[in-house]
Amino acid sequence: MVDVADLFQSVLIGSLYALMALGLTLTYAVAKIPNFAHAEYVTVGAYTAALVTIAFGGAITLGGSGAAAAIVAAFALAFVVAAAIALLSDELVFRPLFRRAATSLHLLVASIGVGLIIRYALSLLVAPYDFLVVTPRIGKDLIRLPGGEALAVAGAPVTNLLAGAIPTTFGIVAALYLLFTRTRIGKGMRAMASNFDLARVAGIKTTNIRRFTWLLAGGLAGLGGAFWIVDVPGTPEMGWGILLWLFAASILGGFTSFWGTVAGGFIVGFAENLGISALHDGFGVSFSYRPMIALVIIVLVFLIRPQGITGLTTGELVGQIRKRLAALRPMLERA
Amino acid sequence: MAVDFSFLLPLLATSFGIYLILALSFNLEYGYAGQPNLGKVFFYSVGAYAAGAITTRVLWALAGAPANVAFMQAPGAAIRQAFARSNPGAILGLFVVSLLAAAVIGAAVGYLAAYPALRLRGDFLAIVLIAVGEAGRVFGRNYEPLAGGVFGLPGVPNPFAWLPARADYAAYAILVLAIAAGMYLFAVRLSNSPFGRLLKSIRDDELAASVYGKDAPRAKGHILAIGSGMAAVAGALYVFYVQQVYADDFIPLISFAAVTMVILGGVANHKGTLVGAAFMTLVDFVTRPVFLAILGINWQPPFDLNYVRYLVTGLIIVLVLLFRPKGLLAERPVDTVAMRVAQSWKTPATVDEPARDDS
Repeated sequence: MVDVADLFQSVLIGSLYALMALGLTLTYAVAKIPNFAHAEYVTVGAYTAALVTIAFGGAITLGGSGAAAAIVAAFALAFVVAAAIALLSDELVFRPLFRRAATSLHLLVASIGVGLIIRYALSLLVAPYDFLVVTPRIGKDLIRLPGGEALAVAGAPVTNLLAGAIPTTFGIVAALYLLFTRTRIGKGMRAMASNFDLARVAGIKTTNIRRFTWLLAGGLAGLGGAFWIVDVPGTPEMGWGILLWLFAASILGGFTSFWGTVAGGFIVGFAENLGISALHDGFGVSFSYRPMIALVIIVLVFLIRPQGITGLTTGELVGQIRKRLAALRPMLERA
Repeated sequence: MAVDFSFLLPLLATSFGIYLILALSFNLEYGYAGQPNLGKVFFYSVGAYAAGAITTRVLWALAGAPANVAFMQAPGAAIRQAFARSNPGAILGLFVVSLLAAAVIGAAVGYLAAYPALRLRGDFLAIVLIAVGEAGRVFGRNYEPLAGGVFGLPGVPNPFAWLPARADYAAYAILVLAIAAGMYLFAVRLSNSPFGRLLKSIRDDELAASVYGKDAPRAKGHILAIGSGMAAVAGALYVFYVQQVYADDFIPLISFAAVTMVILGGVANHKGTLVGAAFMTLVDFVTRPVFLAILGINWQPPFDLNYVRYLVTGLIIVLVLLFRPKGLLAERPVDTVAMRVAQSWKTPATVDEPARDDS
């Protein structure tokens, strides 16, 4: 029997993974960078949000008007600051390297360096103020109905985080879909993703679109981080800690696919919450092996199907399984 | 206050030797063969686990394995240390066996890593190997029989524990440096050999190498086995140095440190790797409070000095890639007898010879 609270947590984590992994997919598709510094945009967004709520200080009384202003300011600034850091890292490091025709591997190594710089510069900045672990002033809380009891669905409480993060993610996914299909800038991004030279020859302003892509990628990561830190207190390492999960989501979706990444985020979120529960109940696997799930996903997807789940139809899935079983049969017969 | 070099130098030398072996192995795999093994720490940890598991268990059996003392904890570790102090032959023999076992197991695991390397290249291979490295750490810290899980496995004695205090560290440092020097000569010989040239040809153009009848997949498997065996030896040396196995030591930053040394010094240049490893060892030591204290610097920064080390590592990676992509020492042509003869032809001496009369 699936616990409804577990289900809620899976949906929450899944939507946050999707939100954060979308930026990773965007920069890989448009700028061809497997960006290991993406983790730091999450951290920067989370810290910005938490510090803004702390700066509001006494003005915040839960349910009062101060709280609403603080929340709006926190999330808006998380988006803006993380977007600015992302743009800066591209302007200073990635684009100069890209101009010199650096390979994706060189860009990956450079992004590891950029990530180290941002992460430990942030650590050095916040350490003297005792913010190495930071908790925002607005925490996860139950939503009170007018009658005073907590809002709950099927016995599981609905928190303000759940009510905020999930609709936001779905709204952003819808907005991005419109961006990619209805606007010149979104179409330009897709053109650059499929063929950079052709896009440039066709008169698309590749530099501007590249800048926009980085702003969007960083901003989405920052927003995800802002939601994340409401769930668990943050540290300068928080983004780095979940980076491989975001890669798992993105890679599962084929690394360049929009819907693939959204689906990948939810699959990783569910696998990590419901999946580990199932493994624990069924096979006695310890919960401490939870981090293995995302890592195993990365390795298996790359080795079995590098294009991820995109374009996978039911017919093909059945065909693949049949093919593999057929390959196994001679071995079984010999045994 | 006088600086206590008799304490500082052996530690510096040991760290340098271990880093050098790790960086050389990455240079062989990435610099020469073009295989970005960013999961280096996994193969390093394989060697560490192998050496730790063998040494502690055999010592435990030799020491009589008292049933009422916990094997994994401090009292058990003390028994192992005491046994090593009074039995030089046993611990030295175990050290040699552990090192050989680490090399063999590391090479075998590295050969398996050729499986993804044949299917993926460049950035995708790097991501898979980083994931494998992290999976290894997660497994190591959760599977207690391997190395004590989160608490680690203490009581791997220094092979020279039977020497007087301080002399044991100095002797071990000399041994590590000797092994590292051997590895360096091996790497130089290997990369100038026909096999080394084969690796370069695969790195530059795998299709062309295959057209010439070279077996690229086989060569990739061999170099990953060699590199991983070297990394495992470095891991084993590390375990005997810190005298315990601790799963959370094996973080991806170890792999990234090896990458930094190689790209700082110069990809596909072993002298460069030597320079890079020396520089990073110094950076490592300068950013540890213990060593600042030994140097007589009494400074209590309001932050963790480790942050400075990682920040400097990141800066080096970015600055080198941006401003000196070939590293401090650029790649040079292979050094073979034929090449030396060919280069001697260009000297003025041959030009000045009287022109041959063709009539």
